[in-house]
Amino acid sequence: MTRKTSLDGLESAPRWIFTFLGAYATVTLLVLYLWNAAGQVFSIQGTSDSTSALSATGMAAVSLWLCLVVWRSFPAGSPLRFTWMLLALAAAAQATSGVLTDFLGTNWLLNPLLWSEQPKSGLIGQIRQAALIAGGPMRLALLAAAMLAVLRVLRKYGFPVRPAAADWAVSGIVCMFAFSRLGEACAATIAGRQIGQADWVSLAGLPILCVLSMEAMLLRRSVARMGKGLIARGWLVLGYGILLTVTGEAVLWVLSHFSQTLPLAMVSALMPLTIGSAFALVPAYQLVAQRRAMRPADSQPEDLSAGVPELAR
Amino acid sequence: MVAFCDAETGAYRSRRIARHLANCEGCREQLLRIEREKEELSAGAMAPAIDSLQGLAGVRSAIAAWRDGRSWATSELKNRLRWQLETYFGSPALLEVDRPGTQAEELLGRTSEMLDVFLGPNAAEAVRDDCLSGLSFAGPAEETCL
Repeated sequence: MTRKTSLDGLESAPRWIFTFLGAYATVTLLVLYLWNAAGQVFSIQGTSDSTSALSATGMAAVSLWLCLVVWRSFPAGSPLRFTWMLLALAAAAQATSGVLTDFLGTNWLLNPLLWSEQPKSGLIGQIRQAALIAGGPMRLALLAAAMLAVLRVLRKYGFPVRPAAADWAVSGIVCMFAFSRLGEACAATIAGRQIGQADWVSLAGLPILCVLSMEAMLLRRSVARMGKGLIARGWLVLGYGILLTVTGEAVLWVLSHFSQTLPLAMVSALMPLTIGSAFALVPAYQLVAQRRAMRPADSQPEDLSAGVPELAR
Repeated sequence: MVAFCDAETGAYRSRRIARHLANCEGCREQLLRIEREKEELSAGAMAPAIDSLQGLAGVRSAIAAWRDGRSWATSELKNRLRWQLETYFGSPALLEVDRPGTQAEELLGRTSEMLDVFLGPNAAEAVRDDCLSGLSFAGPAEETCL
């Protein structure tokens, strides 16, 4: 059977994502090593996080593109079309937030808003605020809705789960973290200290994080009931992506309570790209499954029994 | 191939089969043979002679052969479906869907539905075609590449 071959780079998207993440982590660790070596000779005071922000924005753009490709493969009325639309919107929110923050929300030379004689600093501030909302609570809300939609589909098609003790425990820990942050913000307000816009936006996303952590645990267990197949892999990565997001929020909060020492700064620099890669892997694995199904029959194993897994035999 | 001759394959599958036939001499010959046999059958040239004991024995042996072939095709189809289920979903999903006593038709329906939902209709149809390819359900599998 000569099925139309469309074995483009999309089938190897997960490999590319892992390669990029690995290379980025290697370079970051090399920089850490050089930093430590140079620190004994020169006095270096801080690091720039623009490279991590740019790479995370790029990964969000990749994720958006892959999500759109998958979304288009599900016709109107398909149960998972809505889920993929929400995931695409979440990726779009993240990419837009990154572009707004890195290009229009900063005081750098290539920002067109600074080219006029009277720099629009007020507009830049508003753009920065919009970017924070898009990449924070808005994206988290879209992810929560997508998770709910996929959990419903999984339940309908034979993989229902109920929250177990471990799920409640993880969700409880996230809720405690949220309460700690809210308590800290209240105490700061009472003490007369001013809380920045970024902090307020971050606080607004905390209740959604609590919901997301529970949904991620449920998704993880629901997918475990499915197995470790090609389709299951993508949804499993989504669950871990959410849990990484929650962990990242907690780590960043912890970091702010310590001095900005280099190893912790490096962890916070690596976190956005790692989380972005996890979300990009979700549509990437889905595409691998779809492309494998559409692969020409000639490239399937000739001897079927040799390719049949043990359980199927 | 018989379904293709009878124009009973869907548009997508028909296009794929036609593309394959354009390149495969063996399958083109199979198709010609099926078309010829159909014409002969409709003309009554191959009407079985069951008015004699010998003719009746021939018909019975043909029915037995058809049953054997169908049973082989059913078992092969189930094996292929299990393989696809395990590849795309995993072993627990396979155990969930393929309960003891599940018929091949039921397994095909359930697998198709799950693939439609989680993989999309085009990919699901391609998997379905791969599972059904070469299984005629009218006798032992004929050597086609479809």
